[in-house]
Amino acid sequence: MGYGRYITIRLLNALLVLALVTLLVSVLFTKVAEEDIRSTIQEQINLKLRSNPELQRQLAADPAKLQEWYQREYNRLIHVYELDKPFWVRVVQRTKDTLTLNFGNTKSPIFGETAVSKIISKAIPRTVILFTTAQIFVIFIGLLLGVKAAQMAGSFLDRGVSIVAMVTSSIPMWWFGMISILIFSFKMGWFPSGGMTSMPPKEGVAYYLDVLYHMVLPVTTIVFVLFGGWAWTTRNIMIGTMQEDFIMAARAKGVPERKVIYGHALRASAPPIVTMTIFSLLGSIGGAIITESVFNWPGMGRLYWTALQQNETRLLMGVTFVTVALYLIAMIIADLAYGYLDPRVKVGASQQT
Amino acid sequence: MRWVDVKASMKEFWFEFKRQKGGLFGLVLLFLLIVTALGAPYITEPDIPKKWGQYWEGNPTTVPPVWYNYFTTKKLAPHEILTSNDLTIVSEGEDIGGGMKYYGFEFTYENNYDTPPSDIIIRNIGVKLTDLNSPAQIIITLVRPDGVKIELLNTDLREGSIYQLAKDGKVRNTVFRWASEFEDPQKIAESGETLKSTMDTMRVIFAKAQEGILTNPEALKGTYTFQVDIFTFKEGDQIDLSNTEIVLSGRTYGLMGTDYKARDLWAGLVWGTRVSLTVGVTVAVLTVLIGIFYGVTSAYLGGWKDEFMQRVNEFWASIPTLPILILLGAAFKGHVSLWTIVFLMVAFYWTGIAKVARSMALQIKEQTYVEAAIALGAGTGRIIFKHIMPQIMPYAFAAMALNVPGAVLTEASLSFLGLGDPTAVTWGQILYDAQTQSATINGYWWWVIPPGLAITLVAFTFVLIGISLDRVLNPRLKRL
Repeated sequence: MGYGRYITIRLLNALLVLALVTLLVSVLFTKVAEEDIRSTIQEQINLKLRSNPELQRQLAADPAKLQEWYQREYNRLIHVYELDKPFWVRVVQRTKDTLTLNFGNTKSPIFGETAVSKIISKAIPRTVILFTTAQIFVIFIGLLLGVKAAQMAGSFLDRGVSIVAMVTSSIPMWWFGMISILIFSFKMGWFPSGGMTSMPPKEGVAYYLDVLYHMVLPVTTIVFVLFGGWAWTTRNIMIGTMQEDFIMAARAKGVPERKVIYGHALRASAPPIVTMTIFSLLGSIGGAIITESVFNWPGMGRLYWTALQQNETRLLMGVTFVTVALYLIAMIIADLAYGYLDPRVKVGASQQT
Repeated sequence: MRWVDVKASMKEFWFEFKRQKGGLFGLVLLFLLIVTALGAPYITEPDIPKKWGQYWEGNPTTVPPVWYNYFTTKKLAPHEILTSNDLTIVSEGEDIGGGMKYYGFEFTYENNYDTPPSDIIIRNIGVKLTDLNSPAQIIITLVRPDGVKIELLNTDLREGSIYQLAKDGKVRNTVFRWASEFEDPQKIAESGETLKSTMDTMRVIFAKAQEGILTNPEALKGTYTFQVDIFTFKEGDQIDLSNTEIVLSGRTYGLMGTDYKARDLWAGLVWGTRVSLTVGVTVAVLTVLIGIFYGVTSAYLGGWKDEFMQRVNEFWASIPTLPILILLGAAFKGHVSLWTIVFLMVAFYWTGIAKVARSMALQIKEQTYVEAAIALGAGTGRIIFKHIMPQIMPYAFAAMALNVPGAVLTEASLSFLGLGDPTAVTWGQILYDAQTQSATINGYWWWVIPPGLAITLVAFTFVLIGISLDRVLNPRLKRL
């Protein structure tokens, strides 16, 4: 099977997943939103009655008339909100809307916007700035330490990397964020406790410096929790590669050790490492959902938190859709890169076992 | 495989495992965690989960643990409850004529602290009145170490009356009037009202009578005596002091302090072990079993069935877990039971293990003894369970241990988002409360650090065990 056909199948698969996940989520949220809308309708009718003394006087005299008026109003609003349509029609409608990025509006403004798509497009770059910066540090430190540890397997550094990896991978990242706020923001007062800028935001160059200043604590937290695991995985991959015959051959040929490590071994270990990199870079867009809310960083993670707290179903729906879509894109890119980098890998349906 | 073989291989395995220091340490930690989880009702109280959602009446809110005093120069008063045994009864219904009776008791408080209790609560005085319109009278007088006597409160006593001295307006007035005599008159004239409204009544009561008593009270150490006099006016009125309690609301509390609902965080920590271990282990065991079953079946069946099962697996694996879990939690409006969470995690986590199990089963399938068994006419079930499964089981144990941390962290994360089981006591929920109440910004470290450490400890325990198992079972890593 050719590479092109593989890509097509992979894309179709991703689209199918996306559509099905959206459908599933739509089922859930059409159900949730229904209760929400019913209570809104009640409120609106009551409000209408209360704000109209003339109507009140008219209807107070005759309970049957009140009943009738109430029913008429109720039916009208049910129709306006399309609750009179069957459940599945609404689900399909919602799925279609979501798939065409037509997310609707939130009940109250978030980041100064009510259109969900605008809110999300404001949030994504902020998340990218924070997590991509952090991931670059993580990858750099992780690779460096991992390669060194693999080179000196069994050494003090190697053991240290293993222990740090075990401990940090057991720490909830958001909790570590809370601790660093407690220590460095509350006790020491070195860094701000949250947010992306000072209030009110500064102007010009000072603005960017301010953002950098606000990034220090979250970036440090993310790097601290993740670099150990990265180093450890890199080490394991490298050690696996260094036991292979071609490394021995290279050494026997008299290739300098530095070149053996960085030229031969690291290059051969590249595919899984690149996959890891793509995953963590793209995955970080929706990832670390909770860490952002701890640091009050106004990105995708905080949106999740806000949507949950304020029961903004449309926003929740939109954020989830975007997150899932980005995740699927990351998977495809990672798969393609893997197949491209490592000719030994026979990917997809062509895999004969 | 016969039983003797199992025993022999177990023995061999244990011999190898014993050399893994990390693994042994992990086992010790696991043992301690299990003891804590099982012993939770005995270590704390048995009804903690039932009362966890409520406000804990009588406890101080958001105070640090008692041992905090070892690290500070200013000593904080601990939480104390005096029962009737600690009271000195002066009179139990002495008839003083005209149908009036007099009851009296005293209690003393040794103040050795720089910061005195935050409140003194007198409760559970058993009062039986014949006429509800003529209540009994209660007078609370304080005798300070410097000999000063202050009548703090003179008020009605009815059935179920509770006196919270620090929160009582009358007490505040009395104490302020007394303390103003020592304060700079000009200051009183200028900002008397502000001083009065911001005054910490208890600190003033327990302070040296000198200038600055209102603005910067300095603790007067020594013995404080509280005299409580009660008068009844009707013939049949009865006072029973045997259940009376005096709560000296602490500035510190227990082993781990309290949160905003005055809950004892130590109890929450101990009980949280149960949820964490149960969820972690259940999810890990179930995912691994399902994953292995799926993988092995797929490998064994082969052909288009295998192909189909693998596509299903890939499809399922490409659904991102956490967003979906969050959504489901939101759809259930935060009333997800613990078992639903377990079910959802299992539903999403088995895919990776199924992949590995399949590739292992494919290798085993090609072994000659399996071919021989097939040739001899062994059934599908027999081959899977007798020949393939035992080979995969060691891997399964390592996978189980390695899967626990993920499950523990995910459960904690969901609880932290406020999507956990509201009826369960979990560490994630304690941290959720801490986050919503801005514990970090207020510096309530005892509310934030211990639960996170506990989560980390559980995850770390299983990482240690899992990696050691992996080292023993995976020969490629063992060589290093």
